[in-house]
Amino acid sequence: MSPQHILLIEDSDEDVAATVRGMRREDLDIVLNRCKTGDQALDYLYQRGRYAETIMAPRPHLILLDLNLPGTDGRSLLAVIKDDEDLKSIPVIVLTTSNNPQDIAACYRRGANSYQIKPVDYARFKQSLQTMISYWFQTVTLPDAAD
Amino acid sequence: MSQETPFIVDLTNCDREPIHIPGSIQPHGVLLALAESDLMIIQVSANTFTFLGRHPRDLIGQSLHTLLDPDQIIDLCDCLSHEYVVDENPLYALTLAFNGIESLFDVIAHRIDGMLILELEPVGQSNQAVALRVYRMVKHAVMACHRTSSLQTFAQALAHSVRMLTAFDRVMVYRFLPDGSGVVIAEETHDNLESYLDLRYPASDIPKQARALYLRNWLRLIPDVTYQPVPLLAISSRHPSIPLNLSYAALRSVSPIHIEYLVNMGVRASMSISLIKDDQLWGLIACHHHSGPHELSYDIRAACEFLGHMVSLQIDDKEAAEDATYTIALQSIQAELVQHMSVANDVVAGLTRFTPNLLQFIAVGGVAVCMEGQCVRLGATPPEPVIVELIDWLSQKTDDNTFWTDSLPQHYPAMVPFTAIASGLLAVRLSRARSNYVLWFRPEVIQAVNWGGNPEKPVTVAEGGVRLSPRTSFAVWKESVMMTSLPWRSCEIAAARDLRRAIIDLVMAKVEELARLNEELTRSNIELDSFAYVASHDLKEPLRGLHNYAHFLIEDYGDLLDDAGKDKLATLVRLTQRMESLIDSLLHYSRVGRAEMTWVEVDLNAVLVDVVNLLEPRLRESSAEIRIARPLPHVRADQTRVREVFSNLITNAIKYNDTPQKWVEISYTPVTSAEGTLSYVFSVRDNGIGVPEEHQETIFRIFKRLHGRDEYGGGVGAGLTITKKIVERHGGAIWLTAQPGGGTTFWFTLDRVDADLQAFGRSTPKVGVDTRATP
Repeated sequence: MSPQHILLIEDSDEDVAATVRGMRREDLDIVLNRCKTGDQALDYLYQRGRYAETIMAPRPHLILLDLNLPGTDGRSLLAVIKDDEDLKSIPVIVLTTSNNPQDIAACYRRGANSYQIKPVDYARFKQSLQTMISYWFQTVTLPDAAD
Repeated sequence: MSQETPFIVDLTNCDREPIHIPGSIQPHGVLLALAESDLMIIQVSANTFTFLGRHPRDLIGQSLHTLLDPDQIIDLCDCLSHEYVVDENPLYALTLAFNGIESLFDVIAHRIDGMLILELEPVGQSNQAVALRVYRMVKHAVMACHRTSSLQTFAQALAHSVRMLTAFDRVMVYRFLPDGSGVVIAEETHDNLESYLDLRYPASDIPKQARALYLRNWLRLIPDVTYQPVPLLAISSRHPSIPLNLSYAALRSVSPIHIEYLVNMGVRASMSISLIKDDQLWGLIACHHHSGPHELSYDIRAACEFLGHMVSLQIDDKEAAEDATYTIALQSIQAELVQHMSVANDVVAGLTRFTPNLLQFIAVGGVAVCMEGQCVRLGATPPEPVIVELIDWLSQKTDDNTFWTDSLPQHYPAMVPFTAIASGLLAVRLSRARSNYVLWFRPEVIQAVNWGGNPEKPVTVAEGGVRLSPRTSFAVWKESVMMTSLPWRSCEIAAARDLRRAIIDLVMAKVEELARLNEELTRSNIELDSFAYVASHDLKEPLRGLHNYAHFLIEDYGDLLDDAGKDKLATLVRLTQRMESLIDSLLHYSRVGRAEMTWVEVDLNAVLVDVVNLLEPRLRESSAEIRIARPLPHVRADQTRVREVFSNLITNAIKYNDTPQKWVEISYTPVTSAEGTLSYVFSVRDNGIGVPEEHQETIFRIFKRLHGRDEYGGGVGAGLTITKKIVERHGGAIWLTAQPGGGTTFWFTLDRVDADLQAFGRSTPKVGVDTRATP
């Protein structure tokens, strides 16, 4: 079973810890790569800078994107990804605190594949993460990510 | 050969009577008309023998030398050569003794139509002492008139002075009104004479051509109205000087109509001095003598004429002074009104609620200030609906910003029923687009006209047909001048215009202030928006961290903790959840206040079906009954928000209810607001625990709870705050009342679908003041 690569773009270490914990599965081999900022994520996706070695930055099957990021924020990053002929096929799941209807509408308009709100309640958060994993890796078929 | 004209005068033609060529003179002097080149006598009055001892036939065709010796002729010609002896301006030339006559004559000369006219009047007791006395009296009179400060006191001083000077029984100052009628504004009389003060006389009493003559002759004397006219005799009946133009002759015979008029008034002698302002006949000093003939020497007459000239020059000043006093008073009140308006920050309140108010400004019976659908009336005015229609008419009638009339009902028949209070109207428009007006109303002035006798000259039937004669009765005859107010003075119209400008300046300043406030509000809304966002994301993130880590502790180290430790961690988790609810409520509240409203026609029956479906599990659980008294109407609203209102109120009604048979009753009543907006008052009534009166206001404050956190199903205490915000964003109000038998009724208003579109104006963020208040 080849590993499923997920790129998590999230600046909060605590949220990363909760996400990693909530996504834990026995039945899947998930490799989570994490970028702290939007600019770091761009380097990763374009395999440049510290990610110049391809091996350091495998192309993700799924991108989990927080909206509020230092530097290039999640909204701009979403636009870059969905405007890129090569990157646009990677599903982007917006994973954020914001329940602002304007944010939700704007993200879908920009091409986000899902919009998930991070609840404060851990049990609900975990549940939503598990549902997401099952859906994207077991229910639907993704374009082949491994070169 | 007499030159009596064949013109038969009656009142149908007295406006055309050629009174300047009567062909006769009064008998108290002699008139000679000469050809100036050779001083040949062309015409003479028939009474020469009485005064000069010479028959007319001995004089006509002769040179003036036949009456005067060569030295006198030289003296006379010398006088006539002076430049001030000009055409159409009779002047005293000199005093002469004529050949063979002992007494002296004043010779008054003027030229007209190429003829030299000499009027000879016997000199009374003319000497230097008399001249000096007359001079002092005239000087005193001029000074006395000058010192007065109002037109009234001026006229009174004038009447007094002229009576002192002339000893007439009655001296009146008579002022012409714009319609040609005249009113006695001052009077000095014998104690036992009936007063004519304040009486008005119709324009026909002094016909047009008589007024023209008053303009030419500053003074006119009739020493005895019972005189026999003396005809003029001429050298030939076809001489071109016939008929002789006597317009400027002091001795000119009087119109028989005028004589009859004076006789009917009981007047034996009369004199008039013209008061002329800006080349217009402003008025007359009218002198009457009742006790007998009254002669005046040339000295006195000249003094009176001089006085007439002098005081005529003062009229302008007196009128201006009178206006000036009023204008200053108006300006000072206007300054106070402007201050009231700016302190109150409200035009209508500023003009009407303080002292002085608009009613104490221009002298009127009533005022109305109509702005933005508000109409405040003071004093006697027509009712508001009539004023609203009047404003409609005004805005269609004229583009001018100022309108005034002293006979409104004649222009605007709808005002006829309000003639008594609104015969006069002065209106200023405050804005072109809107019906914003200030209106001043003046009452009808029926009581103001006391005619000196019936102004309609009565018909008297004489033998041989109808003949008109001047009225014989001069007893006060009150006429009802219908539908007319006192006229608006120019300084009043100017004051109204000034006030208009001041109001517009104030409103403009207010609009600018509003624009600034709006800008500030928009900015603070944006700031609130970003604050809400920060609260949502940046506050929630650490909160979520706290929550998760507490959770991880329980998951990972639960085994190491005793129950008390696990309890404390569970409490920590619960508190983070509660904090999340608070933050979410705050966000929701701020979003309700900010978000655009989607205005549609909403069927509240469908809304209620939705709400009941949504609450179904809860209703079943609490076995609560929803009662809807009758089908609900349609309203103009934002459907999602209105659903939230009903949902919140029904939820509360069930939640705060501990009776076994819970019910909620929803009903409504149509109402019309003060501004005429059609709306509904909805009620949501329950049999719950009720709200103590002292909490009926505070219950709407955000996060305000009346019960313990866990009582009645908990909650953060934002539902009613959000409900209130939604109702207010619909332009409505919400309040509650206690049910007598326990329970609560919430009331709120929503506009009807057919309420005008003004509801749309409220879709912008809530602004404390209406931006439509622009001129």
